[in-house]
Amino acid sequence: MTNDKFPEFLDGALERITQAPPADNAAVARVLKRLAPPLPRQKIALRRLPAVLLDWQFAPAWPRVAALAGCAALGFYVGIAGLDRRLDSLDARFAVASQSDVGAIVFEAESLTGARP
Amino acid sequence: MDDSDEALMARVARGDEVAYRLLSRRHVPAMLGLARRVLGNAADAEDVAQEAMLRVWTHAPRWQPLAQFRTWLTRVVVNLCLDRKRRASWVALEAAGEIVDPAPGATEQAEHNERDRLVAGAIAGLPARQRTAIVLTYGDGMSNAQVAEVLDTTVSAVETLLVRAKQNLRRALDDAIDED
Repeated sequence: MTNDKFPEFLDGALERITQAPPADNAAVARVLKRLAPPLPRQKIALRRLPAVLLDWQFAPAWPRVAALAGCAALGFYVGIAGLDRRLDSLDARFAVASQSDVGAIVFEAESLTGARP
Repeated sequence: MDDSDEALMARVARGDEVAYRLLSRRHVPAMLGLARRVLGNAADAEDVAQEAMLRVWTHAPRWQPLAQFRTWLTRVVVNLCLDRKRRASWVALEAAGEIVDPAPGATEQAEHNERDRLVAGAIAGLPARQRTAIVLTYGDGMSNAQVAEVLDTTVSAVETLLVRAKQNLRRALDDAIDED
């Protein structure tokens, strides 16, 4: 075969050989039978989650979810920024006052006479 | 009722098994044929067609109609076929040749069958992606752009695949054709 004729021959042969074969009805039936129910569980897309939750009557209340998320974010910010340390120091002042053991002075019996206040 | 592929997929996404059956009956024959031509093995082709249609069911809720359903499904089938990479078992049954009829022109027919058998054998020796590009272009009549979409590549890459496939085919056939 000459070089000129080869591309033409090849194109023709490829078209003949790669043509879709006639449908094999038995094979199609076998595949369709294997696809019969029960089918596996479908993968749920996140964008469909609210609809799925509604189906379960478990719809999220978005304002409450947003409020909860806001509180969590605020708490995280307060913790990270150390805004609550001032309150700690206030607690420390009270702690110093309590170290004087006022209770002992008021309620303990006098050592010589045994008299109680 | 709209029974286009896309409308049926929307129903399948909501878990409609009737729509899924319609979609399966519509596409399984073609996908089976495609898998058989790419793999060259009828049993593997059935497995691939089944797996592809199961993915249609499981992935339907996530499916976005960015491309035609048929193109997407072809892509799934081609990817599953490429995953198998069973080049050795490829046999072009449809090009295996027929019994020669002793009628006028029978000699030409026999020669014709013999050449097709050689070409089929050469296709069997191609790398999987080149073979797939050949099947989609010549067998399914897809444009280079469609083949590029199915193979998830560029049009120029498809053109390169086809050129290299033909070069490989020519190299494989050269000696055999020259003998004729």
